[in-house]
Amino acid sequence: MLILTRKLGEKITIGDDITVTLVEIKGKQVKLGIEAPKHIEIHRLEVYERIREENLGSSDINDSDLSRALALYRSTEIVNK
Amino acid sequence: MKIHTTRFGTIQIKKEKIINMPYGMLGFLDKKQYLILQHQENSPFIWYQSVDDPGLAFVITNPFLFIPDYNIDLKTPLKEMSWDTDGEKNSLELYIVVNIPKGMPHRMTGNFIGPILINTKLNQAVQIVLSNSPYTHKFPLLKNN
Repeated sequence: MLILTRKLGEKITIGDDITVTLVEIKGKQVKLGIEAPKHIEIHRLEVYERIREENLGSSDINDSDLSRALALYRSTEIVNK
Repeated sequence: MKIHTTRFGTIQIKKEKIINMPYGMLGFLDKKQYLILQHQENSPFIWYQSVDDPGLAFVITNPFLFIPDYNIDLKTPLKEMSWDTDGEKNSLELYIVVNIPKGMPHRMTGNFIGPILINTKLNQAVQIVLSNSPYTHKFPLLKNN
């Protein structure tokens, strides 16, 4: 991993069209400003990973589990009512 | 046209039924075309079948059945997709991705931080990534789980 030291307000570039700015430092938190082309998706890693894992799980559902879940859904009240 | 699927065999569909996801689904970025297939009559669940990969299908459902006041910001995805941000809202449909741990249907959950927004007028869709949202990626869809 490449590790760079930057001061508040300083930037790094990635390739031709991505810029990351160190916007704020507060204790153990830093705020980053990212400029990138629209087609580049930028997300907090943990959020991205959670959604990816749920997608992976969903893509692995078999019909019998879903049919059983449907039967349970019909026989029970919905949560959160 | 004919679409091959692992779960449902070969199915005949109208080309207009295909939903395009220019950014794909997270973890499946290269699969960009999907079909909506009803699971069973009167079932709230839907198979979101990939057109490009016969073996790939997600289970999705209507989030409002489970969290009636589910409320997310659509401005960002509308802008990202260059969809009309004013009118035409009636052509938008929102779904969440369902997960069932193998053999444990009672532990079915819904992912409320990565919903799928479908524009049925344009036949386009996007999976929204919600950061800092009050919702969870593993919301139980059944009571007494």
